[in-house]
Amino acid sequence: MDAEALASEALGAVGDASTSDQLDDVRVRYLGRKSELKQALREVRDRETGMALNAARVRIEEAVADRQAELERAELDRALSEEQIDITLPGEGHHRGHLHLISQVRREVEDIFLGMGYEVVEGREVETTRYLFDALNMPATHPTRSPLNTFYLDDEIVLRSETSPAQIHTMEQRQPPIYMVSLGRCYRRDTADPTHYPIFHQVEGLAVDTDITLADLKGTLQHLLRSLFGEDRETRLGTHFFPFTEPSVEAYVSCFLCDGSGCRVCKQSGWIEIGGAGIVDPNVLEFVGYDPEQVSGFAFGWGLERIAMFRHGLPDLRALWQNDLRLLEQF
Amino acid sequence: MKVPMSWLREYVEVGASTEEIADRLVISTCEVERIARVGVADDDGNLGLFRVGLVVQAGKHPNADRLQLCRVDVGEGEPRQIVCGAWNFGEGATVAVALPGAVLPDGQRLEEVKLRGESSSGMILSERELELGTDHTGILVLDGGHEPGTPLADVLPLAEEILEVETTPNRPDLLSIYGLAREVAAIFGGELRPLPGTDPERSGDEAVDIRIEDLERCPRYVGRLFRDVKIGPSPPWLRARLTAAGMRPISNVVDATNYVMLAVGSPLHAFDHTRLDEGRIVVRRATLNEEIKTLDGQVRTLTAEDLVIADASRPVAIAGVMGGEDSEVTDETSEVLLEAANFEPSGIQRTSERLGLRSEASGRWEKGIDPYLAAQAATLCSELFVDLAGARWVGESDVHGELPESPAIRLRPERASALIGLEVPADEQRRILQSLGFETSDGLEVRVPTWRLRDVTREIDLVEEVARMKLEEVPFTLPQRQEMYGRLSPEQRLRRDVEDALLGAGFSEAYTPSLVADDPRPDALRIPQPQSQDMAVLRTTLLPSLFEASRYNQSVGNSGVALFEIAHVYLAAEGLPDERVHVGGVTEGPFGRAKGAVETILRALGIDAAFERAEHELLHPGKTASLGVGIVGEVRPGLLEGTWSAFELDLAALAGAAPALRAYEDVITYPALRQDLAFAVDEGVAAGDLAAAAREAAGAELRSMTPFDVYRGEQVGEGRKSIAFRVEFRSPERTLTDEEAAGIRERIVGALRDRFGAELRA
Repeated sequence: MDAEALASEALGAVGDASTSDQLDDVRVRYLGRKSELKQALREVRDRETGMALNAARVRIEEAVADRQAELERAELDRALSEEQIDITLPGEGHHRGHLHLISQVRREVEDIFLGMGYEVVEGREVETTRYLFDALNMPATHPTRSPLNTFYLDDEIVLRSETSPAQIHTMEQRQPPIYMVSLGRCYRRDTADPTHYPIFHQVEGLAVDTDITLADLKGTLQHLLRSLFGEDRETRLGTHFFPFTEPSVEAYVSCFLCDGSGCRVCKQSGWIEIGGAGIVDPNVLEFVGYDPEQVSGFAFGWGLERIAMFRHGLPDLRALWQNDLRLLEQF
Repeated sequence: MKVPMSWLREYVEVGASTEEIADRLVISTCEVERIARVGVADDDGNLGLFRVGLVVQAGKHPNADRLQLCRVDVGEGEPRQIVCGAWNFGEGATVAVALPGAVLPDGQRLEEVKLRGESSSGMILSERELELGTDHTGILVLDGGHEPGTPLADVLPLAEEILEVETTPNRPDLLSIYGLAREVAAIFGGELRPLPGTDPERSGDEAVDIRIEDLERCPRYVGRLFRDVKIGPSPPWLRARLTAAGMRPISNVVDATNYVMLAVGSPLHAFDHTRLDEGRIVVRRATLNEEIKTLDGQVRTLTAEDLVIADASRPVAIAGVMGGEDSEVTDETSEVLLEAANFEPSGIQRTSERLGLRSEASGRWEKGIDPYLAAQAATLCSELFVDLAGARWVGESDVHGELPESPAIRLRPERASALIGLEVPADEQRRILQSLGFETSDGLEVRVPTWRLRDVTREIDLVEEVARMKLEEVPFTLPQRQEMYGRLSPEQRLRRDVEDALLGAGFSEAYTPSLVADDPRPDALRIPQPQSQDMAVLRTTLLPSLFEASRYNQSVGNSGVALFEIAHVYLAAEGLPDERVHVGGVTEGPFGRAKGAVETILRALGIDAAFERAEHELLHPGKTASLGVGIVGEVRPGLLEGTWSAFELDLAALAGAAPALRAYEDVITYPALRQDLAFAVDEGVAAGDLAAAAREAAGAELRSMTPFDVYRGEQVGEGRKSIAFRVEFRSPERTLTDEEAAGIRERIVGALRDRFGAELRA
């Protein structure tokens, strides 16, 4: 018999089988005990014929198996497609909570500085006037020292009005190089209104090393601002005054709403004021026992609420203290 | 401060637009709040429709008693007929006219109209209509010297741009138009004109009796005497400038003093000389309870801390703050004593703060004004008195102690470049400093101008002067690090782990105020002078604040409330309080909800903790447990509506309990044998106690024993319950045989029977 012809006839029949039953018939016909092929195999006498017949058998068996898998798959699909459900119904369970917006900004800022090799330092909220004022080169007449502006517990103990004391503690504890940020709550006697609340959050940054420059401050703040507001943002510094830095600057970021062309948010200037910064005043370095001829530093202190409000278009920061789930779950 | 740009441009020659000036001031000098535009809009030729007019004929309107019918020459050959409601002028008056088509500052467009039957082709304007002042009692009458038809803008600042700047406390020199002009000149390289003012001719040599008793508080007092002063209104240009700068015009003499203050930054005061007892000025401390009625009509009671200007018998002004009513210049005044003095800042600040009395003058003095300026201020003011009030200057006295000298400061240009991070050549540094009024030699010595003495005392201050002029050119670089280590501390990582665990458990994070109305602990720290009673105490626990936040959410109809907060609490201690970081949480639902959250945290951190019955005043006495690192329980009924549970843990304690690292344990090679065991016990026996006793009896091969069901009913009997546990036996060394497991079980059953009377149930 012609093994080749038999095989191609069988393969054709396998391909034509469109149900498992039909395929079973095909299998019995070509591979069953009484099939022509099996009989021929039993009667085979020479090696060459045997090999050809066996090869034909293997080909047919494989084709049957493949076709079998194909048909089963198709039949299963047909059956499953009848079990259709409404996939627009909501999922079940697994409710995850939401981190407060300020915590999200806080983590983001921490991570940006961790990426630049800074450490994150924790600070006290109740401080002494020595660390809040004296160490920061604030003259006796500075308005921040007034009990009208700062919360006093007694003559020497105050609620910090900025995170800067963390700088002093860090510098007192060790020698440069220092690269740190500190984030946390601050307190000022501000009347609550859309942009003020007596409690707020700051991020404080400090770098002290042998050759820190104003350009380094500019580059660092630009990286921070671009990370927070987008890679297309521009950074600009404007002259300002703080007792603890000299030169002192105010940082501005190009308005991300109007891209600098002027709008309500940036008061038509194209720039949004973000916060203060500067080169650490030599008096501050001397206070902690550093030699301003040997090391220099930069520092900045910004409000987290301000960043969050601008970035997310929040009109009134008091909402951040309301803890309404409808607001918390937006972020 | 409001800076009318036409005024500023009088002192500096610069081509830059107002926008460009504002833009650069922000970078190098001070904040610019906004550019305000007042007056006539300067577009579509509108400005050209405002002209100087000469009234060639004026008379009553034939059909209206209150109106004048005028013919006004506006340089067109033929006069125009204009109807006007004001009567403060007549034939021959030079007036300001707007022609038909003109748009007034208030937006109104003029049309040719008929008023009571007479046509009116234009409008004769008042200063208020031009936004040059507030006067609208009559129209604006100009000096006679202007040709009819002259553009009004050549005569008056019709379209004014006003820079509203906010200066920093270290720069009192910027509280003047001239001071800002100096900055603009330095920034743009424009030419700065000399300080304004030239002494008029002096027509007399009368003695002026000035005595300073406290030279520290008043380092200088220039007194000048004027006779034949004619008080009257100031001319329109002066009224316009004061108005644009935000001050109200009063009379020529008072306006002149205010003008000079704004122009050069040194406040002045004018006294009616005839009202000064013996014509004398004594600068002295007030005596205790001495009184003075100030210009605002209030009687002020003084202390010996306050500095006053007195005459021979009584105070006539609170020095540097406000003049007295008795000696003020009135319409009848004809002799004026001009005060151009200098006062020490902190004294002024204390007096002004104590009296709650602030003025344009005190705001300047308390920042420290250059004493050298007093003389120039006196000069400019004298010139105005003579020009505007026809005064004769007849005498002067300039009393002062030793005035401060300008120190020389050494500047190393390479040091400045190094700190700025930008190579600024020494020559350029010198040029910048010179443009700001510093004197520099070829060497390194820099002499500080007298108006910057308080602010610039060190080399670093000079570096700032250079830096602020170069800020835009400073490149963006990052520190050249020698060492690098950035990481969160284990405690900071733990905090994030706790946050993440709670978020995963469905809790959202709240931020509540750390200052509260009251606290459960009587020794909680109080703010002696709180801002409000609901922010008076430093809290020792987060729970009440979280309850409040829950109550709020309930009240607005939010459901499924579960909140947590991580914040400081403050425990009273010697000296500074003990500040601890707590995590607190509150959730709707019974004890198990909060405990489940706590267990989630413990599992996340790898902490094993035992729960013990405990009490807490905000929690249910029967449903509260402590676990060493904190407390968990059901919220005491009545505090919140419905059933709620809560917890509060100490983060440092959690950090202490958490394993520094978790070692690998093989739980796969030798599988565990699992069994369920149920014990009937008395109602008072706790599942945790049974498990603890079992662990003790069974040894290390009892890997876990977890309660999964509690049953009460007839089968176990009154006052008893059945607790079912899933137990797991496993050895790390071999697979346990059934016999070994049975042996362990025997030990457990025996121990529980002996200690708790527990019966094993089939």
